[in-house]
Amino acid sequence: MSWITILWSMNAAACLTLAAIYLLVWSKHREDWEHLLFSCTAISVAVIAGFELAVMRSDTTQQFGTLLRWAHVPLWALIVSLVWFVRFRLRAGRTWLAWSVCALRSLALFLNFLLQPNLNYRQITNLQQFSWWGEKVSVAVGVPNPWTLIGYLGLLLLLVFLIDATVAAWRRGDRRQALIVGGGAIFFVAMGWAQSSLVIWGVIRTPFLISFCYLGIVVAMAYELSSGVLRAAQIAGQLRSSEADLRATEQRMDLAASAAGLGMWVWDIVRNETWLTDHCRALFGFAPSEVVNIEKFLAKVHPDDREMISHEVEKSLDGLGDYGAEFRVLNGDGTIRWIDGRGRVEFNGDGKPVRIHGVSLDITNRKLGEGALRESEIRFRTMANTAPVMIWMSGTDKLCTFFNTGWLDFTGRTFAQELGNGWTEGVHRDDLDRSLEVYVNSFDVRQPFTMEYRLRRSDGEYRWLLDTGTPRFASDGAFLGYVGSCIDISERKLAELDAQRHRTELAHLSRVALMGEMSASIAHELNQPLAGIVSNAGAGQRFIDRGDVDLRELRALLVDISADGRRAGEVVRGIRRMLKKGETLRQLVDLNDVVTNVAHMIGPDALLHSCKVSTSLKPNLLPVEADPIQIQQVLINLVVNGFDAMRDIPVQNRKILMETEHRGNELIGVSIRDYGVGIPDEARERLFEPFFTTKREGLGMGLAIVRSIVEAHHGTIAAENAADGGARFHFTLPVAH
Amino acid sequence: MIVPDSLVFAIDDDASVRKGLTRLLRSARYQTEAFNSASDFLLRPPHPGPSCVIVDVRMPGVTGIELQEALIQRRREEQLIFITGHGNISMCAKAMKAGAVDFLPKPFRNEDLLQCVGRALNRSAEQRRRNAEKTSVRLLLDALTPREFEVMQLVITGMLNKQIAAELGTAEKTVKVHRGRVMQKLRVTSVAELVRLVERACVAPATRAARETKV
Repeated sequence: MSWITILWSMNAAACLTLAAIYLLVWSKHREDWEHLLFSCTAISVAVIAGFELAVMRSDTTQQFGTLLRWAHVPLWALIVSLVWFVRFRLRAGRTWLAWSVCALRSLALFLNFLLQPNLNYRQITNLQQFSWWGEKVSVAVGVPNPWTLIGYLGLLLLLVFLIDATVAAWRRGDRRQALIVGGGAIFFVAMGWAQSSLVIWGVIRTPFLISFCYLGIVVAMAYELSSGVLRAAQIAGQLRSSEADLRATEQRMDLAASAAGLGMWVWDIVRNETWLTDHCRALFGFAPSEVVNIEKFLAKVHPDDREMISHEVEKSLDGLGDYGAEFRVLNGDGTIRWIDGRGRVEFNGDGKPVRIHGVSLDITNRKLGEGALRESEIRFRTMANTAPVMIWMSGTDKLCTFFNTGWLDFTGRTFAQELGNGWTEGVHRDDLDRSLEVYVNSFDVRQPFTMEYRLRRSDGEYRWLLDTGTPRFASDGAFLGYVGSCIDISERKLAELDAQRHRTELAHLSRVALMGEMSASIAHELNQPLAGIVSNAGAGQRFIDRGDVDLRELRALLVDISADGRRAGEVVRGIRRMLKKGETLRQLVDLNDVVTNVAHMIGPDALLHSCKVSTSLKPNLLPVEADPIQIQQVLINLVVNGFDAMRDIPVQNRKILMETEHRGNELIGVSIRDYGVGIPDEARERLFEPFFTTKREGLGMGLAIVRSIVEAHHGTIAAENAADGGARFHFTLPVAH
Repeated sequence: MIVPDSLVFAIDDDASVRKGLTRLLRSARYQTEAFNSASDFLLRPPHPGPSCVIVDVRMPGVTGIELQEALIQRRREEQLIFITGHGNISMCAKAMKAGAVDFLPKPFRNEDLLQCVGRALNRSAEQRRRNAEKTSVRLLLDALTPREFEVMQLVITGMLNKQIAAELGTAEKTVKVHRGRVMQKLRVTSVAELVRLVERACVAPATRAARETKV
């Protein structure tokens, strides 16, 4: 083996090695076209070297011409790949020049195959064989082909392109690149051109050495590329060292973010890959090593929210602002997790979105709270505004903060007008002070209240309202104010007033009737003092007429007269009270007093009926709140009924017993028991009904009124037959607080 | 003119009335005693002289009417004047029938009451006098034998001795003897005198019917 074979083989091997390396690199990073172009260049050089060696050893002119012709193919490939390598690597050079170079070399290649024997020779006359570096080499002797000028022109254009690109890169500041790639390419192309031309034109007698020239270019290119690789390796080293820091930082950030409930993520849009922090994976329910892409992500999202998220993502990818969405994620167990996702899109130089960096936050609690709060708020408003009642609310300062539609419709005023104390403007003057007192007093002790007052309706009419207010408390017991509702009770109120007037009227009539029944007692009561007066006055006259008047006697007599007069007046007043029409006056009453009073009052009639009236009183009776005249009426009524019941009973058996007693802590019981004929069975059911009577001359109103009076005092009344004869009526009244 | 030895009682449970009555009676110079109940009055020994009782019809305990019944039962001579705060007709009629002097509703006119009191006391005095007379006649009549009493009863009807003898189925001479004894025992001299005396003692003349019943 000669040196020539060794050198050329080494040349080719070096080129092939470099080509293989960068082809491998390219296969990893397909977007780096420079590596592919370099590989093409290096392979071309290796092939050219092969052809050169073959040409040197060719034995016939025929063989020489054919080999040279085929050598143009790798040459073409070399030039084309070189042009574009430079264009991409230096990011300089006019594109039209590059295309022109390619076109001209393509034309040259075309012509090369059209012409015999090749582009370079019109005719190869002989092969000159001589010894070179210890090897016998062949060199053609012939006529150069003028068409070869086309090839030269291509090479010239290549040089122009290279110079232009180098100058542009140099000016741009990438001087090292310009010098190595551009300068190397220019130098070695020019050298190769020169050497091959001199060989072809027969000026020098050497074999073609252009593969070595081009090897220079390959080496320059490789150096340039390897400097990139070296830098990358350097950066990778730096990266590795900083990666540790980065990981630590990342862990810290993840920790902090996790603590804040933030999950961080990056979505590489081009490759559709994502990177998520562990917390982020936990949020979405991804396994720690699971590869996540946008489809997997969307699969986790609640179906109803997927479209919204896609829309939001697209919007941000279109450059319409950052991505942001609140959406639901389906947990494996069927529950729902609310996520607030935010992200910012990163665009490349062309304005294409490359990736999105984002964070996700678990907002389930807030969302549920918010949802519950909003829902309860909406529910409250809906209810408040559709309820057929008037609703108001007030704050802790007693000022009203809310009125529902019902209220505003009723008063015909605006929300703003009613706020605070505005609502009081509609309250009837006569009711305002009383209502405010109830309101304020209840408010101060945080007690519920009910009150009735008149409020002006939008048509100007005052309507009676029943207002019920309740204090509001927060879950921690803090006082929030009051909420209240009002209903229009005008109809009821009027009916009530009407019923009350009726009852009063009836009670009055019944008292008038009772007066008739009690005429004996009344006459007796009144006539006693009158008799005293008349007698005393007559006596006085006589003493004076007799002329032996004892002044002390006379004085005592006059004192008695005035006392009797007062007594008579008292009786009359009592009668007037009984007969008086109108409002009942409730006061604290000791029922023992009323019973005693009635027993005394009814005495004369009892005598008239030859009946004994006795009382059995519980001492220290608790008071009741009642109208004493009405209770008196009840008792007289029952006693008079007792007289009637005993009309046909032997005189010695006629007696009535009035009793008072405590019934528990809350009730006072009063019973009136007679020893008469008792209540007939058929009458007991209807005893208290109006117009029901067992008396021949009765109106049938007595017991009906008795019951209505007792019930108006919140009491109950009942009747029964006593075991040992006669009837017992008993009623209860609540103890006053 | 006040009836001598007379006493007026006032019974009323009402102090006003009682006091007024007492003063009024005293102003008319009547001796007066007041009680607040009928039972208290009944405990007092009867007044020997003419007396009247002013009583309220209705009182707790013994009522006026009951008092009247009690007094009649005891043959007491007090004359009753009823007063009442509110009376009724039946009660009034009952009282009057039983011999009440009057029935006055309160307030009464003072003159009415005093007149009543005067009338009652007079009636009481009269009653007392007549009662005394009757008692003395009765004593005389008690001295007669049953046969003499029979003869006397027939004499006062105006029968002749012969008729009486026929009536009794005895001799005219026997009748004449009885008649003489009757006149002598009763200390009368004429038939007219006898009739008047017997009348005062409320002895009824014998009638045929009575006689026949007796037989």
